[in-house]
Amino acid sequence: MNINAFVNNTKISNNLQKNDIATENNGSNFLDTLNEKLNEVNDKQIEADDITQKFIKGEETDVHKVMVSTQEAKLSLELAVQIRNKLVEAYQEFNRMQI
Amino acid sequence: MNDVFAGMRISSSGLTAERLRMDTIASNIANATTTRGENGQPYIRKIAVFQENLQREIDKTTGTYKDSFKGVSAVGIVDDASPLRRVYDPSHPDADKEGYVTMPNVNILNEMADMIASTRAYEANVSSMTAVKNMFSKALEIGK
Repeated sequence: MNINAFVNNTKISNNLQKNDIATENNGSNFLDTLNEKLNEVNDKQIEADDITQKFIKGEETDVHKVMVSTQEAKLSLELAVQIRNKLVEAYQEFNRMQI
Repeated sequence: MNDVFAGMRISSSGLTAERLRMDTIASNIANATTTRGENGQPYIRKIAVFQENLQREIDKTTGTYKDSFKGVSAVGIVDDASPLRRVYDPSHPDADKEGYVTMPNVNILNEMADMIASTRAYEANVSSMTAVKNMFSKALEIGK
């Protein structure tokens, strides 16, 4: 009786692992994605700052455009903070893990 | 990321449009009794004309073209074609031989009603923008 029959047949899991590595090498890694998105959030902040400056200087006449831009920046930052909270939470979870 | 704020951008275009409408109304009220406008004619009432603003773009999931909403855009300010008012006022410097003055075709009551409509429309756009904003904030609370 072959008790290890299920474990021996590792073709599927091997394939899965290979695919994982392949996609990881082809696609961008987590750090790059995080950096890219954080830069986008930063761009929103810069954009909001820019349009506020323009409004003060009198180059931009629509006050609501300033508000929309600042709100977009605020909400983007809130989203980034939530994602950061989740990441830290996950890290702490791993840290508490019993070995 | 910009798709997330599409609703806010659309409302923003509505706010811009209402501002333009308000500008034309303000101009109409200010010139309600202007008898000397461009080329010596009395002032003619201005109307802001708006158009739906769509943008054709490729759908990322299906690869086909689709129309995405971009809100409203002002296509121009046109003159009101209704006839000019003729008022009897012989003492007026612009009165003709019979003593009639051609006044602008601006009815101040209509302008006030338009102003209320414009103000409320502006508020409505702000409300819809606030709703979009609140929805986003509520979605962020899912993670808490």
